[in-house]
Amino acid sequence: MVKHNKNQLTFMQYIFLIHGVQAGVGLLALPRELAEIAGTDGWISIIIGYFLSTAAGLLIIQVMKKYPNGTILDLITHYFGKWVGKIAALVFGLYFAFLASIIFIRECLFIQFWILPQTDLFILMLLLSIPTYLIVRNNIKIIARYSQLVFFMTAWMIFFYFPPLKEAHWLHLLPVVKEGWIPIFTAVKITIFSFIGFEITFFLYPSLQKKHKASSGFVIANTLTLSILLTITIVIFTFFSPDEITQFKEPTISVLKIVEFKFLERVEIVFLSLYIFVISTTVLPLMYSTVFCLSQLFGAQNHSKFVSWYLLLNLVYIMFITQSFDRNDHLSKLVQPISLFLAYVFPICLFIYVSIHDRVKRRTNL
Amino acid sequence: MLFFRKYGRKLQKRDLSPKHENTSSQDLISSELVKNLAEIQNIFCDTPDLVMKNFVLKQTTRQVTLVYLSGLTDKNTINNAILRSLLFEAENTDRDLDEKVAFGQIKETTTWKKIEDAILQGNSVLFMDGRAVAYEFDTQGWPQRGVEDSQIESSLRGAHEGFTETGGTNIALIRRHIPSRELKIKEMTIGERGKIKISIMYLADVANPEILQELVDRINKLKVDHIINTASLAEYIEDNPYSPFPQLFLTERPDFAASEIFQGRIVVVVDRSPNVLIGPATFETFFKSIDDYSVRWMAASFLRFMRYFGFFAAIFLPATYIAVIAFHFEIIPLKLLLSVGASREKVPFPPFIEAIIMEITLEMLREAGVRLPAKIGQTVGIVGGIVIGQAAVQAGIVSNIMVIVVALTAIASFIIPNYDMGAAIRMLRFPMMIAASLFGFVGLTVGLMTLVAHFVSLESLGTPYGSPLAPLRFSDWKDLFIRFPVWSNIKRPESARAIQRKKANPRPSEGEENW
Repeated sequence: MVKHNKNQLTFMQYIFLIHGVQAGVGLLALPRELAEIAGTDGWISIIIGYFLSTAAGLLIIQVMKKYPNGTILDLITHYFGKWVGKIAALVFGLYFAFLASIIFIRECLFIQFWILPQTDLFILMLLLSIPTYLIVRNNIKIIARYSQLVFFMTAWMIFFYFPPLKEAHWLHLLPVVKEGWIPIFTAVKITIFSFIGFEITFFLYPSLQKKHKASSGFVIANTLTLSILLTITIVIFTFFSPDEITQFKEPTISVLKIVEFKFLERVEIVFLSLYIFVISTTVLPLMYSTVFCLSQLFGAQNHSKFVSWYLLLNLVYIMFITQSFDRNDHLSKLVQPISLFLAYVFPICLFIYVSIHDRVKRRTNL
Repeated sequence: MLFFRKYGRKLQKRDLSPKHENTSSQDLISSELVKNLAEIQNIFCDTPDLVMKNFVLKQTTRQVTLVYLSGLTDKNTINNAILRSLLFEAENTDRDLDEKVAFGQIKETTTWKKIEDAILQGNSVLFMDGRAVAYEFDTQGWPQRGVEDSQIESSLRGAHEGFTETGGTNIALIRRHIPSRELKIKEMTIGERGKIKISIMYLADVANPEILQELVDRINKLKVDHIINTASLAEYIEDNPYSPFPQLFLTERPDFAASEIFQGRIVVVVDRSPNVLIGPATFETFFKSIDDYSVRWMAASFLRFMRYFGFFAAIFLPATYIAVIAFHFEIIPLKLLLSVGASREKVPFPPFIEAIIMEITLEMLREAGVRLPAKIGQTVGIVGGIVIGQAAVQAGIVSNIMVIVVALTAIASFIIPNYDMGAAIRMLRFPMMIAASLFGFVGLTVGLMTLVAHFVSLESLGTPYGSPLAPLRFSDWKDLFIRFPVWSNIKRPESARAIQRKKANPRPSEGEENW
């Protein structure tokens, strides 16, 4: 078991870790998915999704406050006993494993599709596994440092999205709520998954240095994600005509095709190469959570062994089963209900249970 | 790699200590001079530079013998201070020797082990008949060079003195910068045969005791025969031996070492080596030069930027060129592409081979220039310049653009003020080139990611190496990319983990105007 007696994460690291997990591969296709359902009103759905995820995240922190020196697994063990704790470790481990694996494979698919169409997916994954292994085998502190550094290394990439604004037609956004609220609310079911990843707070909370700032940190991280999602979505909605968006698979990348500099054309290739960094900040903490849960489950001291096994398993999987965007989409559709449960429903249930439990206990103590 | 470690451990278990080490170590000396001399001759057989001077003390019949190694001692001191006073001036023999000899430091010893060490260190030992005590005189004096300008870290305005091969001198050079009683020196000896004196210098009320303890422990743990210089000591005690980056700072400048002690870092002086070790080091230390603090802050900041730019250019420029030409030529605008194409027209090789040829030629030229005497070195430059610059292009082996790229890379790698870091960068360029030639920009990104991954997890003496970048510490950024005016920098860097964060406030008090 990894010890939490050392407070490890600074406030900023915590923010960027959460933000890093949230902003990732989903961003590339998000505007299209939104436009398909809600048209150019999709940005409202993002804001609604933001409020929902913030509420869920704050609830997670409230739950974690009940047992501040342990992860969610320790908390469950504390309240429900050892075996439920083990089951929780298994559930969380599998969930994070699938999530990380899906994103990891999707990352490779994107690279293959956009940059290196002739390279085998297996080779790409092998390549990406090297830095992944180097980071995930370390503790959460190192991963946090990585997320933080990568955020500042890649934050300037948002400026790539300002040149297209020259061609923007703001009229596309009007009238607001043109087809009623129903499509907007339907689209929320997509946007809440754009914020998914914040459930990693379950595992970050015990290693946070200033626990009283956990909530504000979470809100800042979530707001950061919101602002990035909103900026990109609005740029794309105003740039493309409402019908045109749905024709592009990843409008977030396609929009960059028109950006040209005197010394650089085809900016999207450079962008996507660097975007690998951004995706890595999603994948790495998820993988860390996976191996963390697994090492908890097996009571292992060192989780680096699990990292290599996990990466190996991914490689084997990708070698024997041909991958495609459709399959990947299908898989992520499968994981979505679990995400919904673990990130949104589970904290509510847990919060209710824990509050009642504590109240009953207090009463019996009196 | 694990294998080597295991093998190394196995070797260490065997007894590698010198043969005669334990034979007569704890034995006491005898009171009979003849026996003592026999023992000396036994210990130092086949030692022609050993001098044993027998004489009789003035006004007594007491026989004495002075023993020393002729090369390691200062003859003037022996003749003037010891022999003259003992032979001609001493009057009352039974008084303490202290009062008879015009000499600063006299030690009494009784064990053979200490006597042996003393003689080997360059001290001279006086045996006296009828006494079971020997007298040690500090007469060390060996051929040594004076304090000269430092060679590889030359500076424009900084002090023009560099460390020498004598530990004592080096300590004195540092002490001149820090006349404080808080400057403490921990001394230890390492090396079974080499017996190298190591002095750890630090400010007791500033340096972090945990780091100090860590350093002392690591040095104490060493079981080695010999350490040839500071760099190999660094290799023994650094955190990650498989890292391309240097994790401890080597310098031959006393002013730089002293300034780092002031920051709360710890300096290790190794006797017989003209470099000292500074730890804990961070990545950014290697991009600082003492000249940054002797020019105005804007100029210094500009230079800093150039260095960091040079760092990235030196690692990634050839790789980027390869990636662009081999994979993503569509990203360069048409006009530029045409000129690149025109220059590459005659070249039969893929860009990677072209780059490798040029880079390796350049590295060989550089290395050849370093080791050759200055007079021949010029020839190498001319040959290299003509071959690279002209003939290779005309022969159609490499393209003009490649020559430009390689030249830029070379210049970029020379701008790094620290030699170790420069070497690391020059080496890292090659894996990046390979990655770029195989995977284009993706290879580059993965290469950079691996580098970042390594960078964030590396530590130096248990302190994060990437500080203040990763972990991010904005309070330390005052001396990172931009060197803010020195008076604004009132705190010691967090990366040194000093126990006293605030320096004495150097800002002049805001008094009344007095012109």
